[in-house]
Amino acid sequence: MSERDEGITKRQLGIGLAVIGALGFLAILSIDLLDVGRQGGIGPAQTMALLLMAALALVGISLIPLGDAPA
Amino acid sequence: MTRLTRPIYNALVLAALVALSFSLLVYVLYALNLLGFPYDYDQGEGFEVHDTVLFSRLQLPYRDTEVYPFYASNYPPLFHIMAAPFVWLFGPAYWYGRLLGFLASLAAAAAIAGAVYVEGGRRKSIAALSALAFLSSNFVYHIGPLFRQHIMMVAFETLAIVMLSRAFPRRERRGIAIALLLLIGAGYTKQLAAISAVAAIAWMFLRGPLRALRWTIGFALAGGAIFAALNLASDGQWWLQAIIANVNDFDRQQAFGLFILWFKLHGFLLIPACLMLVYETYCDRLSVYSLWFAATALLGGIASGTWGAGDSYFVTSVAALCILSGIFLSRILGGALKLPRRLRFLSSSPLCAASLVLIPLLYLGYARATLKLPTDGRFQGIAELLGVESNVRENFYDSATFLVGGYAQIGYFLTEDDREAGDRIVALIEATEGSVLSEEAGFTMAAGRDVVTNPTQLRNLDLAGRYNGDQLVVMIDGQEFALVILRALFYPPAVLEAIDRAYLHRETIHMNGFDYLILYPRERDES
Repeated sequence: MSERDEGITKRQLGIGLAVIGALGFLAILSIDLLDVGRQGGIGPAQTMALLLMAALALVGISLIPLGDAPA
Repeated sequence: MTRLTRPIYNALVLAALVALSFSLLVYVLYALNLLGFPYDYDQGEGFEVHDTVLFSRLQLPYRDTEVYPFYASNYPPLFHIMAAPFVWLFGPAYWYGRLLGFLASLAAAAAIAGAVYVEGGRRKSIAALSALAFLSSNFVYHIGPLFRQHIMMVAFETLAIVMLSRAFPRRERRGIAIALLLLIGAGYTKQLAAISAVAAIAWMFLRGPLRALRWTIGFALAGGAIFAALNLASDGQWWLQAIIANVNDFDRQQAFGLFILWFKLHGFLLIPACLMLVYETYCDRLSVYSLWFAATALLGGIASGTWGAGDSYFVTSVAALCILSGIFLSRILGGALKLPRRLRFLSSSPLCAASLVLIPLLYLGYARATLKLPTDGRFQGIAELLGVESNVRENFYDSATFLVGGYAQIGYFLTEDDREAGDRIVALIEATEGSVLSEEAGFTMAAGRDVVTNPTQLRNLDLAGRYNGDQLVVMIDGQEFALVILRALFYPPAVLEAIDRAYLHRETIHMNGFDYLILYPRERDES
């Protein structure tokens, strides 16, 4: 098996990043939804993490059209 | 390159090499200056000397801080083990640890040059400029020649990543094994190397998931076995002192300020590094350097905002950006970038000619952005020529300034006055009998006394709710210490309150830009 065959493709990487980004975004958001006793809403660290996860998801989506090119 | 552009390119590259070599000269002189100084320069260096002394006696520094001498280390052991043989030969001293740090920075620079040379199409000038750029970074400059483990971790990480980049795609088992061992070495030099390990594993997974899984299992088993052995040998103190006590408060403003400073200082090469990351993401395969750069810049940068952290947490990302920008710029020069059809206009002749001028100018701009030098003595004329004046000390210019929280306020050269001030503190200790409580270990070691306490460690344990401190407070209240020497007041509040109750500040000695407060036992009727 060649090196290229066994590696991850851009599409697979894109899907992976999009899923991680989306799940991460929801998980961070759910900190506020689940922790009902918590005061203060979304804090600055949470905002930063949300932006990071959103960016990760967007990069992932943009990679999907690149298909089987090796990542 | 045409007959017209080649001389311009060569002249500009030469100018960039001269500018960055000047930075290297300042770095070498700074290192030589520090090697001759026998006391703490950066806060906490003395405790690393003490850790080394303990390892040289085959003792672990992960100890119970509730009993005399209330000392423990929060650092992994490898750097101190490497320095331990010097203790057998020369006794406790700072110079060999600082020398090891300085040599480690040169090793990292050599690895950077090698990576850029091989991956960038064998362009010696860009490889040399990339290595010099690493050494010119203000962050690298001031922590390189210290008795601290950080730069050794960076050297291990850089060597590991460069080796892995070559070995994994070629399936060179020996090369991969050595690279992963170097990463384990980095982790047992300083915990922050975990970020590089994550980047390396992620990249291996992209290139070959099954092979990556097998290697990662071996990597985790080897690393885990060392972890378990240390914990067992220290009766659980390794976990408490090196892991629990390392979880500190996060200061968002400090992290943000350091990110801005990082960009201001390294922007000339950061932008090409980011372009290379984007290029590899969309037009080529992702290299380990791209993942390493992204992970260390982002996660290392965020970690720089924790208490006790600082600009040094960006040093690994500086190594990565020097490699990535060097490869990118080399490939532009060699016309080796595989651009998609709609971007091929970027390889047109006028733009290529412009890049010949622009690329050396980037390194020249970087040299100016990272400029730092003494402004007196032999450097006075050069400082005047460059149009800079002292801005952080009365006789030192640092383009980074000392304004950002977390930026280590060091880098200036020490004088004979600093040495005499240190000697004076040691003489005060020698004039007493018994133990001395000092916030820095160098003085008590020089006087042949016990090293008692590690204040930052006690503070961290206290904040984690894992420090009682009764026995130390009883000793302080009982005035069992002949002297107390304070600098940064890092002790937990209960200890500082006890010191205030039982000791009186009688003298201040200025050394190395800091005030050392000398406290003597209060007379019983003194309040």
